[in-house]
Amino acid sequence: MAQEAQAKPLPQITDLTRPFWTAAKNRKLVMQKCTRCGTMNFYPKAWCVECGNRDLQWVETKPTGTVYSYTVATAVMMNFPGWKDDLPIVLGIIDVDDGARMYGQITDCAPDKVHIGMRVQAYFADISEEAAVPKFRPV
Amino acid sequence: MRGEVAIVGYGRTPYSRAKPGERILTVDEYIAWAAELALQSAGMSKNDFDGQGLGIAHAEASHTVNWSAAVAEGLGISAKVLLRADQGGASGAALLIRAAAMIKAGIIDRALIIGADTPCTIPSVAPGLPLSPERTRGVFWDFQGPFAVMGANSQFALVQTRYMHQYRLREDELSRSLGKIASVSRYHASLNPGAIYRKPFTIEEYLASRILSYPVRLFDCVPLVNGGLAYIVTSAKTAAKVTKKPVHLLGFDEINNYYHGPRTAPDITYTGFEQTAPAAFKMAGIECKDIDLFLPYDDYPMVVQIQMEDYGFCKKGEGVRFVQERDLTFRGNFPISTDGGQLSGGQPGGAIGGFMPIIEAAAQLRAEAGERQVKDVKFVASSGFGGMTYARNNRSCVSLIFGSER
Repeated sequence: MAQEAQAKPLPQITDLTRPFWTAAKNRKLVMQKCTRCGTMNFYPKAWCVECGNRDLQWVETKPTGTVYSYTVATAVMMNFPGWKDDLPIVLGIIDVDDGARMYGQITDCAPDKVHIGMRVQAYFADISEEAAVPKFRPV
Repeated sequence: MRGEVAIVGYGRTPYSRAKPGERILTVDEYIAWAAELALQSAGMSKNDFDGQGLGIAHAEASHTVNWSAAVAEGLGISAKVLLRADQGGASGAALLIRAAAMIKAGIIDRALIIGADTPCTIPSVAPGLPLSPERTRGVFWDFQGPFAVMGANSQFALVQTRYMHQYRLREDELSRSLGKIASVSRYHASLNPGAIYRKPFTIEEYLASRILSYPVRLFDCVPLVNGGLAYIVTSAKTAAKVTKKPVHLLGFDEINNYYHGPRTAPDITYTGFEQTAPAAFKMAGIECKDIDLFLPYDDYPMVVQIQMEDYGFCKKGEGVRFVQERDLTFRGNFPISTDGGQLSGGQPGGAIGGFMPIIEAAAQLRAEAGERQVKDVKFVASSGFGGMTYARNNRSCVSLIFGSER
């Protein structure tokens, strides 16, 4: 692992998480749906956090959601130095409409205009040959 | 379990920011130093713990999978029971509950509990990055790092923004409240020779400190230090023999991975303390109004204010008014964080800071707190608070109630 040389962190992709990164590469947001109770799980889990069923199915969610909370980073802390050029970075907790809660960067919006309850839509930014990350912008 | 065990000794090493030119101690040296101070305080020898309990908190500098056994080997203690907690800032408090249960069950009579870490000198993944390999591996990191989560600053900021929204607070109202908590902590640090940052600041100076991750400021953030802490817990019977000033554990409760509301959409302005604090008070047979000193886990002032609410000192969402109306200094009507807290005292790693409220509770209840001594203190409430979950609040909550009398 040549993490030292990386400007921004890259995921160590496993068979568990690969469907998420591959889907994002194909401009789709997917999460694990429990085949028993229907709960959407995120980040990728080994079983359903609601009912304990190990049979989870990757399903596509709507790319839309609502901002549950947000913060505006003006310094890089506990992350890789490559983020420095992107500051200020708006990071949100997004309630995905038919999915689960997730972290996501909010872009294309002045930081002081971001607000809780704001409607957002996912788009995808490639971070490697194998992976892309969903980010969000106002609808 | 009320009053079954007591703390009979404690120790806290000087802290270090590992500045150039300083002698750099390893985690093993801090463990031994903290243990020595605790043993001196209790008037005991390390050999008193052969066949007894030895507890150690997992730290970022832990250098083997068999951490507790390796610590026993390093110290030359043949412990019957090894206790190890890996609950971050809740470890120090969780270990006390584990030890108390073992003592009550008659398996051991006493335990030496230690925590130490060297976050300023652990090997990080890249030069200049305060990230241990442990923090940058696995699915938990993979769904944070690449998404631009900036560690605890981001996570606490997200709680703070939501809190302002939900309880309809203006940013300046909440900031002034958090500034008061931070500046009182600093004032107390100025009275504690062991604290790392001791120059007092005002609320205005707090407000002028730069924003790192809105709404979290520089003066909201805990400074990391290298250091170690330890305490000794015994059965009440042994405590009565070895000291005139036992610090009785009167109540406790713990919850891990707490959700307020549905698992998939919980309210992140609440912590598990809303459950553990009432249970701990019930065991102790006392109420909020009986508490003379509150020593919450205090790495961010927002965490302190939320705990005031979740412990029941005031209603949910009324923390700002509660802070405004009270004198939080050691002479005041609601003293908090009398050691300077982690905010100004320094945090010996996210895994070990949780020992500080326990050590300060013991110092205060034994009237050994020097210039910052709270007068006539009988009951202390403290907490351990460990780890941040994904897009929620914290992972582990432990509430403890201590008393000078059984």
